[in-house]
Amino acid sequence: MNTLVAEPAKKREGAQPDKKTEASLALRKRMGDNLVAIGLHRDEAAFADVYSYYSGRVKSFLMGKGMNDEIAEELTQEIMLTVWRRSISYDPKKAAASTWLFTIARNRRIDYLRGNSRIEVELDDEMLDVETTESDPQAKFVSDAQSAKQLERALEKLPQEQRQVMHLSYFRGQSHGAIAKWLDLPIGTVKSRIRLAMQAVRSSLLSEDESLHDNSTESS
Amino acid sequence: MNVQHHLTDETIQDYAAGSLTASMETLVACHLTVCNQCRHKAMLAENVGGSLFDDMEPAAVAGSAMDLLARAAMMPEHSAPSSPASKPAFKGVPLPLARQLPADLDDLDWRRIAPGIKQFNLSSQHRKHGAFQLLHLDPGVVLSAHSHNDRELTYLVQGSYTDEIGQFKAGDIADLDGHDQTHQPVVDSKEPCIALIATQSPVNYSGVFSKIMQPFVGI
Ligand SMILES: [Zn+2]
Repeated sequence: MNTLVAEPAKKREGAQPDKKTEASLALRKRMGDNLVAIGLHRDEAAFADVYSYYSGRVKSFLMGKGMNDEIAEELTQEIMLTVWRRSISYDPKKAAASTWLFTIARNRRIDYLRGNSRIEVELDDEMLDVETTESDPQAKFVSDAQSAKQLERALEKLPQEQRQVMHLSYFRGQSHGAIAKWLDLPIGTVKSRIRLAMQAVRSSLLSEDESLHDNSTESS
Repeated sequence: MNVQHHLTDETIQDYAAGSLTASMETLVACHLTVCNQCRHKAMLAENVGGSLFDDMEPAAVAGSAMDLLARAAMMPEHSAPSSPASKPAFKGVPLPLARQLPADLDDLDWRRIAPGIKQFNLSSQHRKHGAFQLLHLDPGVVLSAHSHNDRELTYLVQGSYTDEIGQFKAGDIADLDGHDQTHQPVVDSKEPCIALIATQSPVNYSGVFSKIMQPFVGI
């Protein structure tokens, strides 16, 4: 089942997606399709589309995190080359194209700065807690087109001050402390805005989850 | 694993944003291994990062897609970096930590620092960059009351202790973040209590934003 293209058969009441949400979902699908096409047939046109959309954002992310133009340009090219060569490992059921790109750029930056890789969970770890994955409603949000829409909307609805702090945390500041200093706020305020934003996003996904349950079909 | 004490949303978001030190990342990854509740939160935080990535104002890029493809065709493609060949199997130790240990917990070169308390340092860095260590506490040991100024994460590898916040067992995280409150852990397990501790000293923020603070869209 291709969960990304599966649209719910009926629109739910009150679910009047604004234009921005629709546009970003269309873009999400196009970029996901591009990555799949690159992975499957080394589709150069698809890569050109991915490149023109993401390379400037990747570089903006690197520079925003403190790299100079020259190094950011070089790393951007490396990251886009990774996209070209590793698209075969992109799974549209697991992540949006932007999430995949963001994590590659994030990890490459960490590699570059630290000289060793980002430390992550290893999914074949014998200690991995998998007990409740199947029944956990949070487990399916990433793979689900409806959840992608909910996530977009939840982010749209965040108060501007929370959006700003989230944006700074992902793409500009080195730490919550740096953001606090930049915005001239107590660090506790920055942290509570991040906490509130994360909670809002999560609860918007969970609250709509039950009503959607009959639409969801599990695949494995 | 019956985890009772979790990572805070802020720490999970910080991890997803890639802003933690390697030692903090290790602790977070250990807990995420044994706690799928926090693991799903971390996945969500990555997805939030991906969604917000779309809102970013692109920077001007000098190279073009076709140049890159032309270069790629001439460059040998080195084989994909395979995950480290050998997988250490230290009982009760998640891989993110196990990969950084020279030996099993029992065989580490513990250094005695006080009666009933041994330490194993995991970082060769100077302490000013933050501490990263394992503490080995004998049953019944009472740590002296202390508070934390810096950011500090504790991951319980084995055994348990109880302090003012509650009881912490293997898999639990104590995510103390500038809490001024004093706490006094008491080891209450029959076996020794082993805790992984990372502190992140405040970094020097000057120059971080400098002139790269560009306008961004959507916020
Ligand atoms: Zn947890």
